[in-house]
Amino acid sequence: MRLFYWVALIFFGITQAQATTPVQQHTMKNGLNIMLMEAHHVPMVAMKLIMPAGSRFDAQDKGGSAALLAAMLTDHTVKHDYLAWAGKLDDASILLGAGTDKDSLSISLTVLKEAMDEGIDAFSEALLQPGWDKQRFKLKQQNTISGLTKAQEEAGTFSAIAEGELLFPSHPYGHPTSGTLDSVKNITLRDLKTLYAQQVKPVGATLAMSGDITMDEAVKLVQRYLGNWHGAPKKVLADIEKPTPSDKKERHHVMDKHQMLIEWVRLGPSRHDDDYITMMVLNHMLGGGGFGSQLMEEIRERRGLTYGVYSYFQPYETHGAYIIRLQTRSDQAEEAEVVLKQVLADMTSGKITQDMLDKSKTNLMGGFAQRMDSNRERVGLLAMMGFYHRPLNYLENWTKSVESVTLADVLQGAKKYLQPDDWKQIWVGPEQER
Amino acid sequence: MWMKKLLLLCVLGLMAAQTQAAELKRVSFDNGVQLIVEEDHSAPVAMVQIWLKVGGRDEVPGKTGLAHVFEHMMFKGSKKLEAGEYSKIISAMGGNDNAFTSTDYTAYFETIPSAEVNRVLSMEAERFAHLKLRDKDFQSEIKVIMEERRMRTEDDPNSRMFEELSAASLRLHPYRNPVIGWMQDLEALTIEDVRAFYKQHYVPANVTVVVVGDVDFKQVKRTVAKTFAKMKARKVAPRFNPTEPEPLGAKRVEVVIPAQLPLIAFTMPVPSWVPHHNDKQAAAIALATEMLAGGKSAILNQVLVNEKRVAIAAGAGYDPFTMGLDLWYAYGSTGIGQDTAKFEQAFWALMDKMGKELPNERKFEAAKRRMIANTVFSQDSLYLRAKHIGILETVGIGADEKDRWLDLIRAVTPEQVRDVFKTWFIQSRATTGLLLPKAVK
Repeated sequence: MRLFYWVALIFFGITQAQATTPVQQHTMKNGLNIMLMEAHHVPMVAMKLIMPAGSRFDAQDKGGSAALLAAMLTDHTVKHDYLAWAGKLDDASILLGAGTDKDSLSISLTVLKEAMDEGIDAFSEALLQPGWDKQRFKLKQQNTISGLTKAQEEAGTFSAIAEGELLFPSHPYGHPTSGTLDSVKNITLRDLKTLYAQQVKPVGATLAMSGDITMDEAVKLVQRYLGNWHGAPKKVLADIEKPTPSDKKERHHVMDKHQMLIEWVRLGPSRHDDDYITMMVLNHMLGGGGFGSQLMEEIRERRGLTYGVYSYFQPYETHGAYIIRLQTRSDQAEEAEVVLKQVLADMTSGKITQDMLDKSKTNLMGGFAQRMDSNRERVGLLAMMGFYHRPLNYLENWTKSVESVTLADVLQGAKKYLQPDDWKQIWVGPEQER
Repeated sequence: MWMKKLLLLCVLGLMAAQTQAAELKRVSFDNGVQLIVEEDHSAPVAMVQIWLKVGGRDEVPGKTGLAHVFEHMMFKGSKKLEAGEYSKIISAMGGNDNAFTSTDYTAYFETIPSAEVNRVLSMEAERFAHLKLRDKDFQSEIKVIMEERRMRTEDDPNSRMFEELSAASLRLHPYRNPVIGWMQDLEALTIEDVRAFYKQHYVPANVTVVVVGDVDFKQVKRTVAKTFAKMKARKVAPRFNPTEPEPLGAKRVEVVIPAQLPLIAFTMPVPSWVPHHNDKQAAAIALATEMLAGGKSAILNQVLVNEKRVAIAAGAGYDPFTMGLDLWYAYGSTGIGQDTAKFEQAFWALMDKMGKELPNERKFEAAKRRMIANTVFSQDSLYLRAKHIGILETVGIGADEKDRWLDLIRAVTPEQVRDVFKTWFIQSRATTGLLLPKAVK
C-alpha cells in the first residue's frame, strides 16, 4: 500500500451529510438521546451507545478501569456465562463490541435487520445486566497485563506515555486509555462496579443508529429494551479543567529499533473551540490531508525521509493532544526534524497561500459524502454529535463552515498553534545524541 | 427450539436474496481489458479500481519487492501529469486515492464523487499508458519504501517472525517471498528493473476495471472503450504458478530478535478455491477456519485462551481467493508465564480431536450464518465490494462466481469439516515459527 489509508480519513473531523439523509433526533423519557440516519439499501442496522465513562473517569492510580469495564460488559452477563453468551450472539450473527477513549465509553452493535430484535435485546442485556464474574475479571486483567507487556515492543506505546507526561501532568487525560503495567494491577472488580454505577446512565448518553430502520421502530425498540434504564451520571462530561502542560520540553525513550519515532506534541483545540473548523482546515494543509499536505510534501515526497508523516489533534471535551508523527531511519532523525521545524516556521510566518487553502477546502468539502458512506461511519459521527452537543443542523452547516474559513483565519490559527517553539519533542528509538 | 430454527432459516433465505441482488454488468474488450460495474445509486459516490494481474508472485529471484515498488512509481508522473499531480487532482475533486500490492495482484483505487468517474478513468488510462519512470523519482521513492519496510517489518517483531516463517514454509512457491521485498533486493533494484517490469506486465490484457457506485454502466463502458480499450493489444505470458511439493515432515524456524513476549505460529499449504474443481474442499476449509477463528465462540479462543489458558490471543486465517494455493496459518500469542510448548501441545491435541469427531452442530451452523451475514455487512462498503470483485477476477476465479461461493458454504457438511482437520491441518505438514525475545535495551 502506498500509504496507510485510514489515517488521513480519521482526523478530518466531521464529514458531510447527504441532503437525502437527514439526521433525526428523539429524547426518551429516561433522558437517552437517540440520533438516527436512515439507510435502507442494505438490510442491516448499526448502533453505538456513547456515555461519559472514558479513561478520564478512572480512579487515581487505576488507569485502564474504563477499558476493562468495556471488556467485561461485552464478555458475559448475569444471565449468560461467557460461553453461553458467545453462543447466543453467534447464533444470530450479532456483532457486539465496546471501546473507550479519554472522554467516553461506547458499546456498538451491528446486526442484520431480521435479527434486530434479538440484537437490541442482547445489547440491553450487556448494558443493564452485567455479570461481574470474578474469574473472568481475573483472566481479563491478567491478559491485559500481558497485552501491555507485549505492547512494549511498539514505539507508539512509549510515545503515548510521554504525551501524557509532557502535556497532561496530574490531569485526567494524562494516562493511556488502556492503562499501564502499574495501574492495571491496582484495579479491582469493585472499581469497575463503582465506575459502572456512577457513569453508565441514560442522561448525557447518546444512542446513535444508522441503517434499515425508522425512528418509530427505533423508539419502540429502545422503549422496550432500555425503557427501564434510569439515572444521571455522577460526573458530567463538562466537568473538566483545561490541562496545564509540563515545563519539560522533550523526552527520549531508548529502544532497540531501526527507526526513530519522532513526535512533536502540544495542546490542540477542544471540540467546543470557536476555531475548531479553522484548525481542521489548517491541519489538513499541515499534515492531515495525506499527499499534498506540507509535511508529506517536504519530508516524504521531496526527501524520501519517511513512509508517512501525519498531524492530527484530538478534540475532546477540553483540549487534547495535537500530534505530528513520523518514523525514519534513526540516523536521519535530525534531518527530518529540521524539515518539520521549517514547515511549521514557514506556515507560522505566513507562507500559506490562497491556493493552498482553496485546495484543502475543496478536498474536505468534496469528500463529504464519501466519508460517511457506510452505516458504521455514520453512527460514529452521530454519536460524536450527540455526545458533544452539536446542533442537529451541524452536518448541513458543515460545508458552509469550511467554505467560510478565510486566509486570515488560517494565518491567525497558524500563529496561535504552529509556532515551532511551542511544541515538545518525543523521540523513541536508538540511543542518539541530539 | 423449532421456532428459533424457523426464524434463522428465514434470515438465511432473505440474506441469500439480498446478497445476490446487485447485478454485475461486464464487458470484455478486444485488447483484453475487462470492465465490471456494479451500480448502486444510494449515494452520489463511486469507487473506481484498476486491477492488474501482477503481484509479488511475478517477480524473479533477486528482484523481490518490484511489483510494490512499481505501484509507488505509478504516482510519480506521466506524459500529462507531474509527479504527485495525480493525487492532487483527485484530492481537488474531494476524492481519495491509493493503491495496494499483494502476491497475486496490484490495484489502484479512487473514492470520488460519482460525477467524476469518467474523468478519473481517463486519467488512470493516461498514466497506465504513458508513465515517465525517471531515475530521480525512483531514487527518492526507493528510500520511502525502505522506510516502509523498516516500519512494517523490521521494527515489528510479529511481522518479522511471520516473514521468516513464510520463507521457511514453502520450497518453490513464490508466496515464500515478502511482497515488500527483502531489504537486500530493495537495495539492489534499479530504474531499469522498473522499466522492464512495466513493459512486461502493464499491458491491456492484464487490466480489469471495476466500478461500484452511482454510475451508469453504458456511460462507463463508453469511457473505457475510448481509453483503456484503445490501447494496443500485447501478448502476455502465463503467470508463474508452480506446484508446491507436498511437505515431507514437520519443519521449525526460530526468530530471535528484540521483543517482550513470544509468539508461536503454524503454517500449512492448502488448496484455495478453483471453481468446479475443488468446490467442496475449499468451502470446507473456509468453514473449518471460521469455526476455529471467527465470532465470539471461536474454538481457538474458547479452548486455548479461555479454557486451557495457554495464550492471551489465538487465531487462524485462510484465503480461498488466490491462484490455487494458500499458506494457511494459526497463531498463539503467549502472555506472562505462559509457555509456547504448552500452546503447541494443546493446539495439536485440539486439531487431532477435531479430525476424529464431527463438529458441534450449533457452532457449525453459527459459523455458516456468520459467513453469510458478513457478506451482507460488507455490502455496506463500496471499497470492499469492489475489492472482492477485483480479487475474484484477477486470480482467475471470476467475479460471476461471487454468489455461488455462499451456496458452497451453505452446502458444507459436518463430515467435510471433520475431514479438513484429518487431511490438511496435521502436524507433519506444518512449519512452526517461534518468536523468541532477545533482551530489549
